[in-house]
Amino acid sequence: MNAAGTIVFNDVSKFYGEILGVNRVSLSIPPGITSLVGPNGSGKTTLMNLITGLLWPNDGSISVLGVSPRDAESLFRLVGYATQIDAFPRGARGRDFVVSYLRVHGYANDEAQRRADAALARLGLTEAGSRRIAGYSKGMRQRVKLAQAMAHDPRVLVLDEPLNGLDPLVRAEIIALLREWVDQGRHVIVSSHILHEVDLISDQVVLLNEGYVVAEGDIRGVRSEMRRHPLQVLIRCRQPGMLAARIFELDTVVEVKLHVDGGGLLVATRDPDRFYLSLNRIAVDHDLGLETVCPADDDVDAVYRYLIGGEEGS
Amino acid sequence: MAVYEKSYRGYDGARTDPRWRFMTLPRYAFERVFASRLFGGFFALCFVCPVVVALWIYLPHNLKFLQTFGIEPAQVAEFFRFDGLFFLSWYMKPQLFMSFLVAMIIGPSLIADDLRNNALPLYFSRPFSRAEYVLGKSAVLITLLSLVTWIPGSILFLLQASLGGWSWLSGNWRVGVGILVGSWIWIVLLCLLSLALSAHLRWKPLAHAAMFGVFFVAAMVAGVLNFILRTDWGSLIDIGEMTTVVWASLFGVSRETTVPAAAAWLALFCVAAACLALLSRRLKAYEVVRS
Amino acid sequence: MNGAIELDGLEVQFGARTILRDLRASLTGKSIGLLGPNGAGKTTLLHTLLGFHPPKSGTARIFGHDIRTQSRELRALCGYMPENDAYIAGISAVRLVRLMAEISGLPSRPALERAHEVLYYVGLGEARYRKIESYSLGMKQMAKLAQAIVHGPKLLVLDEPTNGLDPPHRRRMIRLIQEIRDRGEVTLLLSSHLLRDVEECCDEVLILKAGRIVQHCDLEAERRANRRFIEVETHTEVEEFATAIGRLGCEYAIVGARRIKLVLPEGIDMRDLYRIAAEKEIQIRRLDYRRDSLQDIFLQAME
Repeated sequence: MNAAGTIVFNDVSKFYGEILGVNRVSLSIPPGITSLVGPNGSGKTTLMNLITGLLWPNDGSISVLGVSPRDAESLFRLVGYATQIDAFPRGARGRDFVVSYLRVHGYANDEAQRRADAALARLGLTEAGSRRIAGYSKGMRQRVKLAQAMAHDPRVLVLDEPLNGLDPLVRAEIIALLREWVDQGRHVIVSSHILHEVDLISDQVVLLNEGYVVAEGDIRGVRSEMRRHPLQVLIRCRQPGMLAARIFELDTVVEVKLHVDGGGLLVATRDPDRFYLSLNRIAVDHDLGLETVCPADDDVDAVYRYLIGGEEGS
Repeated sequence: MAVYEKSYRGYDGARTDPRWRFMTLPRYAFERVFASRLFGGFFALCFVCPVVVALWIYLPHNLKFLQTFGIEPAQVAEFFRFDGLFFLSWYMKPQLFMSFLVAMIIGPSLIADDLRNNALPLYFSRPFSRAEYVLGKSAVLITLLSLVTWIPGSILFLLQASLGGWSWLSGNWRVGVGILVGSWIWIVLLCLLSLALSAHLRWKPLAHAAMFGVFFVAAMVAGVLNFILRTDWGSLIDIGEMTTVVWASLFGVSRETTVPAAAAWLALFCVAAACLALLSRRLKAYEVVRS
Repeated sequence: MNGAIELDGLEVQFGARTILRDLRASLTGKSIGLLGPNGAGKTTLLHTLLGFHPPKSGTARIFGHDIRTQSRELRALCGYMPENDAYIAGISAVRLVRLMAEISGLPSRPALERAHEVLYYVGLGEARYRKIESYSLGMKQMAKLAQAIVHGPKLLVLDEPTNGLDPPHRRRMIRLIQEIRDRGEVTLLLSSHLLRDVEECCDEVLILKAGRIVQHCDLEAERRANRRFIEVETHTEVEEFATAIGRLGCEYAIVGARRIKLVLPEGIDMRDLYRIAAEKEIQIRRLDYRRDSLQDIFLQAME
C-alpha cells in the first residue's frame, strides 16, 4: 500500500510528562473504517490527537496520506475531527458553528454556507441549525460535531465515540453515512466501546491497552492469528451427548464442554476449516436436532477479553 | 460446609419512623462540620462574648470583689445598667456578627455539594419531600446558630433576672422576648439566605463571597446611597441594619432609628420571601432545560 | 390481569409543550425495556412515574398505587439510577449509599451493613472509601446502581445504565442487571439507546415516538415466533450455497459478504441445509435464529 493512501505511525511514543500516552506504536492504516478499541486511558484519544496534529509525538514519525502532521495547513484540509467532549463556543448556533469552521479553512462565505447546509442536511439538522447548541439534546450535539468534521470534505475522518447517546435509528443512519464515505476510498477512524457494533461496521480494528497496540487488522484475521486460543464454537442441539461423541473422534478438536442446560456444547478446535467440513458430515449422517451453530469467540468482544481482559472492581 | 455466593438480596427489615427521617441530614452534616478543627476553634470564639457579658453581669452583684479594688458600687452604677440597650449593644450585635460568620462558613456547603453533581434526584426518588430536605439541611445551621444566639442569650437573661430580682425582671421582661424572638428572626433569615444563595451558586467559594456581598457590600452601598440622597431609606437594603431596627422595636429601646420599625419588618419579610422563592425554584429533582 | 405498571391515559406537559400524550398500556413483564428516538419522552415518562412531574391528565399505577395520590408510598418502593452523573461531592461511596439507605428508611446499623453489601455486590472494593469524584466512569455507574438497590426496591428504574462504559464494565453492568432480574424479587424498567442492552435484559418492550406509544411487544414471544427465520454465514461460496437452498424452496436474501437470511419452509430442516453444505464442501460457520428481531421491530415502529 503506497504511503499516499495510508496513515502510518512509525515507532511513535507520546508522554505527558511522566504519564504514558502511547509507547512505541507502529501502525499502517488503510482506507476503510478502522475502529480503535480499548479501555479508557489506553491511548485511543492520544492516537487521534496525534493523527489530527493536535499533539506532536515525543518520538517517531507520523504520516497521514503522505502529509506530516507538522504541516498544519495541509493536514487540516485532509483531516476532520469530531471530539468526544463537547466544546462549543458560548451561545453559538448550530449552523454558525459549522460555517465558522469552514471559514477558518479558507472557504469564501457563500461556499462555506453552502457546504454547511449540505453537511447539516446530511445529518438531519437542517431545521435545528438555526437554534442554539446549548439547547440541543445529546444526540443533536453529536451530530453537529460530525457535521463540522465532515463539512470540508476531508479524506480522513477521525471520530471519538461518535455514536454516544444516539438512538438506534440515528445510529443506523450515521453508520450508513460512514459506509458511503469510505466507499469513496476515504479513511474513517472511530473509537467505540460498543463492540458488537464495531464488529458490524469495521473493516479493521486496532486494540489498545495501556498505551500499547495489542492487535491490529481485520478481526477474523486477528482471531485466527491467536493460536493460543483455539476457536470456540457453540453448538446447540437436541442430542449433545451423541454429537460430543462423534466430535471427539475428530482430531481437529482439542476440547468439548457440555453446556449446563443439557442443550448444547462448546467445542474448541485448532483447525476451524477442517472442523466445519467434518461437522457437515456428522450433521448429515446423524439425527442430532441441530439448532444453532455459532462461533463463541470470533468477534471483537472475545478478542478484547483474551488480549486485554478483565473487569476491574476497584 | 457451605459455599456462599454473593447475589442480590432484597431488604425486608424494619424501617424508621418517616416523620424523623429528615434528621438523617443533620446527623451526617454535623460529622463533617466538626471534623474541621479550624471551625471548632472559631466556634469556640463565638462564646467569648457571652462569657464576658456573663462576668460583667455577675460583677455588680459581688460587692466584695469590687471593694478589693477600692471601688464603691455607687460609682460604677451606670456601667452596670442592664437594660434593653445593654443587651442589644453588648450581646445581640456582637453575636449578630459572629453568627453571620458561622452561617457564611457553614451555609454554602449545605446544598452546594448536592447540586454540583446532580444528587437531588437521588433524594427525591425516595419517600422524601423538598420541605424535609430544606428542614434537614437547615437543622444544622439552626442548631449552630441557636448555640450562638438565643441559648447563651437566654442564659444571660436568666442570670441577670436571678441576680436582679423581680424588680429588674418586671421592668425588663421585654429583653427576654427580644432575645428569643430577635434571635429566631435572625436565624431564619440567615438560613434562608445561605440556602438560597448556595442553591443558585453551585460553587462554594462563590456562595461564601455572595453571602459576604449581600451583607457587607449592601451595607456599604446603603451608606453611600444614604449619603448621596441625604436620606435614611437606603438602609432598607442593609440587612444587618434592618435586623437591628427590628430588634430595637422588640426590646423597646428607642434609638436613632434610621427607618421606621414597620418598614424594617417589611424589608426583612421581603428578603425571606425572595429566598423562599429562589429555593423552591432551584430545588427540583429535575430541571427542564429551555431550548 | 394487572401488570406491574399500568398507564392510563397519561399525559404530561411542560409549560405549553405536550411531551407525553394519552399513554395507555399494561406492562406485565418482569423486565421492561423502554426504547425510542431522542426526544420521544422516555426520560419524562420515567420522571413522571417517579413523581418528579405531575401529569396533566390521566394517571398511571405502579403495583396498584396511583402515581398522583400515592407518590410517597411509591417512591418507597422504587430505586432510581439516573442517566447523568449523580453523587454528592466530597464524600465516599459508602457514605453516600448509607445516607440514601437511611433516607429510604433503613435504621442506622442495617443501612451501614446493606451499604457494604451492595457495594461488594457491584464490585467496588477498597475504592468505596475514596471520594466519588476520584472514581472512573465505570465506578461511578456502579455506585449509582448501588444506591438504587440498597433499600431493596420492588421497581428498579435504570436510565441508560451502560452509558459511556468500556466493554468490561458494560458486560459487568449487564450481568448485574440480569442477575437482579433473575432473582425475581424486582421488576426492572430500563431505558436505553442500545438495542443490545434491551435485548439482553428485557422481556417486554415499549417503544415511544413523539410522546406516543408506537409499539408494545413481548420479546419472549417474538423470539419464539422467529424459529423459521434462520441466518447462515458461510466461509466462502455464499452464492453457490444460496442458490442451492433456493432450489430447495427456501426464500433467502444475501446480506453482507458471507451472510444469508432465509426462511425455512415446512418440511425442510437444518439437516437439509447441512446436506447441501456437505455435498458442496462448504463450511457453515454460523447457523442461528434471527438475532436482530428487536432491530426490525424498532425500525418498523419508527416508520
